[in-house]
Amino acid sequence: MSTLPDSQATEVRSLNRRLAALVLALVTLLLVAALGAALGSVRTPPSAVAQLCWARLTGNPVPADLPPAWETILFEIRFPRVVLGGLVGMTLAVAGAVYQALFRNPLADPYLIGVSSGASFGATVAMYFVWRFAWGGLNAISLAAFAGALLTTAAIYSLARVGGRTPVTTLILAGVAVGAVLSAGTTLLMFTASDAFHTIHILGWLMGSLALANWEEVRAILPYLLLGFLVIGWHAHTLNVLQLDEEQAQALGIEVERVKGVLILATSLAAAAAISVSGVIGFVGLVVPHIVRLIWGPDHRFLLPTSALLGAIGLILADSLARTLFAPRELPLGVVTALVGAPFFLHLLRRQKREVF
Amino acid sequence: MSKVMDSHRKGRFAVLWSAALLTVLLALVGLSACGRAAMPTTTPAPASTPTPVPPTRASTPVSATPTPSLYPVTITDMAGREVTVQTQPQAIVSLAPANTEMLYALGLGDKVVGITEFCNYPPEAGQKPKVGGFSDISTEKVVELAPDLILADSMHIAEVVPALEDLGLKVVVIDPTNIPAVLEGIELLGTITEREKEAQALTAQMQEAIDAIAQAVDGHEKLRVFWELSSDLWTAGPGSFIDDLIVRSGGGNIAVGADSSWLQLSNEAIIAADPEVILLADHPFGATMETVAARPGWDKISAVVNNRIIEISDTDLVSRPGPRVVEALKFVAKVLHPDAFE
Repeated sequence: MSTLPDSQATEVRSLNRRLAALVLALVTLLLVAALGAALGSVRTPPSAVAQLCWARLTGNPVPADLPPAWETILFEIRFPRVVLGGLVGMTLAVAGAVYQALFRNPLADPYLIGVSSGASFGATVAMYFVWRFAWGGLNAISLAAFAGALLTTAAIYSLARVGGRTPVTTLILAGVAVGAVLSAGTTLLMFTASDAFHTIHILGWLMGSLALANWEEVRAILPYLLLGFLVIGWHAHTLNVLQLDEEQAQALGIEVERVKGVLILATSLAAAAAISVSGVIGFVGLVVPHIVRLIWGPDHRFLLPTSALLGAIGLILADSLARTLFAPRELPLGVVTALVGAPFFLHLLRRQKREVF
Repeated sequence: MSKVMDSHRKGRFAVLWSAALLTVLLALVGLSACGRAAMPTTTPAPASTPTPVPPTRASTPVSATPTPSLYPVTITDMAGREVTVQTQPQAIVSLAPANTEMLYALGLGDKVVGITEFCNYPPEAGQKPKVGGFSDISTEKVVELAPDLILADSMHIAEVVPALEDLGLKVVVIDPTNIPAVLEGIELLGTITEREKEAQALTAQMQEAIDAIAQAVDGHEKLRVFWELSSDLWTAGPGSFIDDLIVRSGGGNIAVGADSSWLQLSNEAIIAADPEVILLADHPFGATMETVAARPGWDKISAVVNNRIIEISDTDLVSRPGPRVVEALKFVAKVLHPDAFE
């Protein structure tokens, strides 16, 4: 075979490096997930976990010397929690990456245009009025959060629409304004709640938690996540091109307004579904794409899957910490992600000599 | 040449990405089906499997009545939920300090297998395994303890109770918001644990004491009371347990017109209401007679002028709707009308 010219050889080498990184990330995710399944406020030795998994896989009966409760704990409490954590982490990281690309702004995160403020308000309304219905595997609080997030994003998008175009600056400003109003509304409801424990409950939800995760929640949000991811993935190359300003992208044949609309819809759908079951977990969506960019550059065809894997790993680890540090009590997830993620990110930033955004 | 490679790469990426998503979807569907399919076999069946708790000491057979068993018994708990208890509960988890106190008061201490971090009374309860704090309960821990009865509070109804029931556990909500409801709660607990005799004896005793206090303060002038929950002036309003304590002790809550059982009053509202007695439930957090008297405009308030500011040290006692409610009532009544208890 003829030797490739230098530039292409470099490309192939860097492609191999990236594929290796992707595989490594995948393996790490599986390991972290296994770790997460083995940790909890109930001490289950890894050997027992392995035995139970093997028994379930092969259809054999559970070894008699293991407490029967462990099977329930593992398969009904921990596994869905780890899976949900991974899915939410993936979604937040990918959503963050997409918004950072769409808005060409390093400070963009999944909550920029209303998903968080809308979900918080919806959830708070549900908790304030003590709604108790459930549907499709989600309880009233999650459903209200989901609806709130989507309605708010839709409102912000239409508010920012000017003459057939949606300038990103207008979107951001509309997001800030609407977010402020909803934030105030949420706080108002929190303060006029009928007793102190209501307020604590609301506050706890707002700070994020995967404490009561179950398989039904996983199944309920999965379609939205997959749909969102599918659409986002198909636009990976387009996102690369969008890093040029919109006029140039338009000149290169990309229908910028249509792409923006589709991507905002897909990302908001996925992010709304994720936040409806996990509460507001900050920092993951903001920082994970930057970490990937700092190390491997901004090509979205690599950035998106790697951010997804890294986001999943980060959130599963954070959740494991949140439920073991002060067991049996739980720390809010948002607190853990911020306290752990921020110093790590700062460290990475300091080590980096070149500017990559 | 590079353009062709680009579009190749673009198409290839989209295909790989979609394939990856499909794999993830299938894996997750398979994983979650794994979980659900085995649900029936993993439901802890307390009646048949031996619970992994330390062997209880042989308790005096107070409940070994010669009469036929009352089980299965169906009750409506304090959240309006109909619950059927099949057999006498042997492993009880309590998610609220007041409920823990009730269990011990009925002599069920040795059947308690799990409590929250805040269940500090009676002192011997402190040895039991902890399952969480207020609304953050570790479902793992609860499942490990394999309880056949869980006593919850109203704050658990939204999420914790459904989660526990999904795992096949039995939950009863006992959440009194006033003193008569406390007695009801104790009797309800007696019914489901086959301790009706003890429950009735206890509630009769409590009712007697409550009536005695009511009689003692009868005829005394109703004093205006401000019950301070925090230094930014949060207080308990009508419908709350604390409000009931105040009223039954011969006092009038200055928050009487409010439409919420938990609210924040303004400085002016308190000064205008001119309370004659101030109870500082935030004393453990630093509120003292001096700090209160020093507040701007407060020096004219009757309670400050007559130095009737009471610092509450044992805030648990006056905030738990449990068996010690009579002690709490006595405490407040003595504070308001010391001459009635000479």
